[in-house]
Amino acid sequence: MKRIALLLWLSLVLPLAAASDAHREYDAMETYEPHVRGDQSLSGSYKHWAHPGKLDWRLAGNPEENWKLNWKFMDPPFNASVHGGHFALDRGEQLFRELNAKARFARCLGAGKAGLKGLRARYPQYRADLKRIAGLEEVIEYCAAREGRVLQNGSYDNSAVSLYVASQSNGMPMRVDVGKGVMRDAFERGRKLFHTRAGKLHLACSSCHTHKVGLQLRGSVITTPYGDAVHYPVYRTRYFLQSLHLRFAECNLDTRTQPLVPGSRAYTDLEVFMTALSNGYPVTVPSERD
Amino acid sequence: MRSISILAGLAVALVLPVWAQGLPRDAAVNAAAPNKTLEPRVVTNSGRLEWLPHAHNLTPWPTLSHEDRRPAPKPRKARLAGPLDGDAGRGRDIAVRPDKGYCIVCHQIPGEEWPGTVGLDLRGFKQRQYADAAVYQQIFDARVNNAQTVMPPFGTNNILSEQEIRDLVVFLQSLE
Repeated sequence: MKRIALLLWLSLVLPLAAASDAHREYDAMETYEPHVRGDQSLSGSYKHWAHPGKLDWRLAGNPEENWKLNWKFMDPPFNASVHGGHFALDRGEQLFRELNAKARFARCLGAGKAGLKGLRARYPQYRADLKRIAGLEEVIEYCAAREGRVLQNGSYDNSAVSLYVASQSNGMPMRVDVGKGVMRDAFERGRKLFHTRAGKLHLACSSCHTHKVGLQLRGSVITTPYGDAVHYPVYRTRYFLQSLHLRFAECNLDTRTQPLVPGSRAYTDLEVFMTALSNGYPVTVPSERD
Repeated sequence: MRSISILAGLAVALVLPVWAQGLPRDAAVNAAAPNKTLEPRVVTNSGRLEWLPHAHNLTPWPTLSHEDRRPAPKPRKARLAGPLDGDAGRGRDIAVRPDKGYCIVCHQIPGEEWPGTVGLDLRGFKQRQYADAAVYQQIFDARVNNAQTVMPPFGTNNILSEQEIRDLVVFLQSLE
């Protein structure tokens, strides 16, 4: 009897051991500074977009060179046009007021005495009630459910509320501390994922966005991962309103990789990594991208 | 106590095969659909996210999920047997089509606008005088030559068929 139990136990452990050694491939594992200035040693384009109020309009108008602005010319204050992001912002404000009728929703999101001011700049963060690190959109879904409303992570209304909450931190520098504990672990996992080859085309994020920045993929120029997370959720002119996790899903689909659902652990770790690479750069919404 | 551990072991052993080879639980899939893979669709003024069938089944290849224990295909040496027997016209078609090789994303090809600059400029390729077998291997699985290459393994990952790679080789070797 004991022998059978042992055999069964082995039949469990052996494949598991084999599985954890499954062959995966990685790009050369680069190091990144958890601050937007880290781009100085990656693409060097930082000097062109470091100050959102002082972009060089000559670069913006030149399709050969506008990548050096990291597409910040599509953000306010440079981009003063009204677009779908503004409608989403209005919708988000209205939804927020309904959800916060009893003043519980904002508290659930983590608002203190300063209200929503600065809240966006501190996400993703560890949530003791969820017992894990969560992005703002995951927490909006959770807190809305407590008010009896369904706002699925990635849905228009969820992103609209996220956009409104972010707008209350506009101009404030992102500051996600990944220096210690579970946040540092998440940053490291995110960094590893960024270098992990996946999908049918066998590409990692870093295959292009670390090692090929400034080169062309057909009509597009590859940009830096630094300073990118601050304008999400973003209004995509061809895709409506898009959260960062839905952007990850789109990146996966573009490289023929099976996407994950918003709020998955892997996407959240990538969000921690990407957001830390925006530390020090001001939250900028509503923004649009092609 | 012993019977409990046996039962538990049996239960796990029965479940394991599905789990070990299977898709991670956080993959966006509909297991009952022909293509399995789903893509998100954002519906304006709605609290629900819609998922639509994606045009391709992407589930056979490893994802970024932490739960994904499936291996990536290892680099594979290809053997080019017999005469090339490819068609340069078909090769060009494969090189520009997004659903085929889509080589122009990274490479410059004569006569095509908006070339990529990530890969080798393919203009005048014939003058480089590469052996057919070497070109075939590079397209089939470039990792054999360079472990850090960003060029997808078109043969190993079944992105292109053997015949399609032969067509590409003939097309490339025709570029004066």
